[in-house]
Amino acid sequence: MSSRILYVNLSERSSRVVDRPDLFSKYLGGSGITSKLLLEEVRPGIDPFSPETPIIFATGYMTGVFPCVVKAIAMFKSPLTKNLGESHSGGHFASALRFAGYGALVIHGASEHPIIIKIIDDEVKIELADSLWGLSPLDVEKALRECSYEGMQSVISCGKAGENLVYYSNVIVDRFHHFGRLGLGAIFGSKKLKAISILGRKGIPLENPLVVKDMYEKLHHKVVTSDEMSKYHNLGTSANMLELNELGALPTRNFKESRFKDAERISGETMAESLLRRKISCPGCPIACIHLAELKTSFAPEHERGKKEIFYEEVLVPYNYEAMYALGNNLLIKDKRDLILLIYRCESLGLDAMMMGTVLAWVTEAFEEGRITLDETLGIKPTWGDSEAYIKIIDNTVEMKNKFYAKLAQGVVAASEKYGGREYAMALGNNGMAGYITGYGAILGPLVGARHSHLSNSGYSVDQKIMNQPISIEQIVDFLIDQEDWLYVLYSLGVCYFARRIYSKEVVCEALKALGIDKTQDELMKMGKEIFHNLYKFKVREGFELSEQTIPKRIFEVQTPHGKLEFEKIKSMIDSYIKKREKEGLHLKPEEKALKELLK
Amino acid sequence: MRFHIEVVHPERCIGCYSCVYACSRHLFNVIDPSKVAVFVRVNGTLANPFTIMACRFCKNPECALVCPRGALQPLPEGGITLIASKCEGCKTFDCINACMIRALALDKTTNFPIICDRCGDCAKYCPHNVFKYEEMK
Repeated sequence: MSSRILYVNLSERSSRVVDRPDLFSKYLGGSGITSKLLLEEVRPGIDPFSPETPIIFATGYMTGVFPCVVKAIAMFKSPLTKNLGESHSGGHFASALRFAGYGALVIHGASEHPIIIKIIDDEVKIELADSLWGLSPLDVEKALRECSYEGMQSVISCGKAGENLVYYSNVIVDRFHHFGRLGLGAIFGSKKLKAISILGRKGIPLENPLVVKDMYEKLHHKVVTSDEMSKYHNLGTSANMLELNELGALPTRNFKESRFKDAERISGETMAESLLRRKISCPGCPIACIHLAELKTSFAPEHERGKKEIFYEEVLVPYNYEAMYALGNNLLIKDKRDLILLIYRCESLGLDAMMMGTVLAWVTEAFEEGRITLDETLGIKPTWGDSEAYIKIIDNTVEMKNKFYAKLAQGVVAASEKYGGREYAMALGNNGMAGYITGYGAILGPLVGARHSHLSNSGYSVDQKIMNQPISIEQIVDFLIDQEDWLYVLYSLGVCYFARRIYSKEVVCEALKALGIDKTQDELMKMGKEIFHNLYKFKVREGFELSEQTIPKRIFEVQTPHGKLEFEKIKSMIDSYIKKREKEGLHLKPEEKALKELLK
Repeated sequence: MRFHIEVVHPERCIGCYSCVYACSRHLFNVIDPSKVAVFVRVNGTLANPFTIMACRFCKNPECALVCPRGALQPLPEGGITLIASKCEGCKTFDCINACMIRALALDKTTNFPIICDRCGDCAKYCPHNVFKYEEMK
């Protein structure tokens, strides 16, 4: 694995390579590297849109070598949370970066004119790209995709949402994948960085080829035959919808209810029967969890000079459970085409579907309550299940058509702080919630997770483990701590979250041994914990205080499979979590002095 | 073991590159999408189906016919074998450009063409039956 970090400076239009064997031998790759670089490269208190704010990418230590090891990690200062920004993406990016001979990529500075970064192995160019500005990331992918007969190329791009600095805009990776959630798209936009193209033509040498081949064979067999992965291959995460509906854990009508009576009309099963056209993988993974729906939209009716319409345009839209919940059942959208249309709108604009859905749900309820009126919405009546109105609201938000829409572009918490309705602004740590009201784990997980994601520590999964048992605070807290620490090990290696059950501690030690790295399970856990500590150091430095985090009141009003959740229980879980983490030597409260500096 | 290998269902390709990685592992003990005898090619955008190319084991392959030194020997079962001594030092690389489906890649470290040795690993690791393969008797 290369320990070379490519630094690109957009202000100076320059690049240089720094070799950091110290960093890579300690943290291996991925999130380990980015967590350390975050502390090194990001100036305390910096404005996320400042030219000095860096974007840090790293590929995984095992990327490209073993099955399902495909991920790249991005870290930055999030405009949405004004704190840690962390996004993980599949696609070709991690592999192309590795094949180009780098372990990490750090981007500093900003450009006055729209530009792209074009990397071909050691050759790095910053090229003017006015012609791409304003294009959907999908059109950018088509423009920049080369017909190369060697190596592997990745194209990543922000959309109009990123250009306009929407706080939850994303970066589309190789058309169907995302650096999502916390606003990397806006960081790109603030730097006038439209896209990055990386072509990597070098190889990954195998020092112990026989051992590696043997390990690959074993892992490949596990991956393609085990039940663990079959879900992702068959329906993908869209299988969650009916499962959660059955449980009574499916967020509906802005988390007011936990079952959707029309769930079957937009379920993963329905999609698979009617709209699913193809599936696609990340290079290095044989599962193909990315499910692509075909959206057929007709041209104008009079296309053929007054004759009946026979031409359609078809687009492929990646759909997964989170996008389906946020733009589907949570908005009472019951038409499957409407749902795909809404997802496609977000994809075309480079907008995080989860947060956009959260915003739309809040808008609908706030309008119902009269907190916002047609004056704010510019004549659009947000209505549950009305995809046409929602599309107009999405467009207006990206265009920031007025003060209200500009506020929506800052996220649901910002919007509710101005217009009210904070109790149903469904965000934790300022990040839009994921589609689970399974119990305490689903709430606590994203709250304590470093990047406030349900994937930080799989909190939602512990709720199902402890069904029909008395809730043990210790059990939940221990699970969240162990999971997050261990996941940061996987994220340093580039392992996909979906393969987490394949890549157990035992398997990871064996896989690393095959690559010449001798680490015990304890040593790995220690590394994972240290990565988490690095990230929390950053968070606290930037003003985050876990004990001050708010949970929207709606959470305590909705029915879950564990009954209604109690605030006191969550409070004691947070207290227990803080105590356990502090025992590890982590300081969770910002220093008085540092806090005052940030508030100046 | 040697195999008859044929690309029969390229439309089923999911772009996992398992075949490509298996090939470079087998031939060169590396993971390298450039050092292979089987190719997953993107057609302008990932929205389009992939193009999968591999040696078709032609009986009278154009790669062998155009070689000015006769370094590529056609085999009775189709395909070619490389006579390295005749190939050494060639700077023309006519063979690479001659293959109409571009199934011959150049090994940039040795300047030899990369020849499929019918190991069958590409087909073995494909999760979607893109290849048809059977053992040669």
